[in-house]
Amino acid sequence: MTDDNQIIPLIRENAEKGYRLLMAKYKEPVYWHIRRLVVSHADAQDATQDTFLRIFRSFGQYSGEGSFKTWIFRIATNEALRLLGRNQGKATLSLDETPQVTLTMKADDYFDYGNAEAIRLQEAITALPAKQQLAFNLHYYDDLSYKEIAAVTGSTEATVKANYHFAKEKIIKYMNTNN
Amino acid sequence: MEQNYDFNRIGKQMPYTVPDGFFDKLEENVMNEVKAQPVRKKATMIRMAIRAALAIAACIALFLVVKKVLPQDQDTATDDFENVELAFNNLSTEDQDYLLEVYQEELFLENDLNNLNDLNNEESI
Repeated sequence: MTDDNQIIPLIRENAEKGYRLLMAKYKEPVYWHIRRLVVSHADAQDATQDTFLRIFRSFGQYSGEGSFKTWIFRIATNEALRLLGRNQGKATLSLDETPQVTLTMKADDYFDYGNAEAIRLQEAITALPAKQQLAFNLHYYDDLSYKEIAAVTGSTEATVKANYHFAKEKIIKYMNTNN
Repeated sequence: MEQNYDFNRIGKQMPYTVPDGFFDKLEENVMNEVKAQPVRKKATMIRMAIRAALAIAACIALFLVVKKVLPQDQDTATDDFENVELAFNNLSTEDQDYLLEVYQEELFLENDLNNLNDLNNEESI
């Protein structure tokens, strides 16, 4: 896997090559991160494309102080919340709100109906407020540290830990009661 | 009832799938769109900055007007957010796009909301 320290200077030297390298590394993690939040494949596709267009357009604003990975996930999260907000007639979804995606899950064409336990786990996750989903998903699926998640969500490490803890408790309760 | 759940049973499996060749197509779509859009010239950037500044000023002004009109007992964080959203919705789509582009890194606009509150508090003193 290419290191971000190779991608950043390459974008400055040869934008197209740099962008391709960036996409090769991040297109799947970014898509799956967004997909877990918005659930629908079509929505995830739109938000992922918008994410990369924003990354490329605003690359000059990346100061290099924070992690490049968290900067990318921050933009992706922002796009996902904006799309979820738009679907509810708002500019963006706040972190305290729970995305209204449960019903769309089973109506999606790109969905594996055979894996009942995986479906239940996603049902449990998508029933959580956005801040708890983000803490859980980014830690569980993307292996981001609490510190990195705090950078993504503009929060503190302690808040992320608390949100992860609450999320996990609720998921365990859901999985046990809906077994 | 079990007090715990073994996440290892499911690991990172998800019920979500994608069409064949989706990620290659996604990359091509993005690259084609990047190539199709001309690089913004400096003058265009300055014009954009001016437009964004005007849009922000309009947003703040609308917020303050809405804030004055509303009864005092609605002075809660939730209402503040709704007021900002109302002011934002009153902007043209183009200005909304400019604002969103300018603030695309400000994930939750909390700082902006606090700034608006500070401005409002200063005015009411």
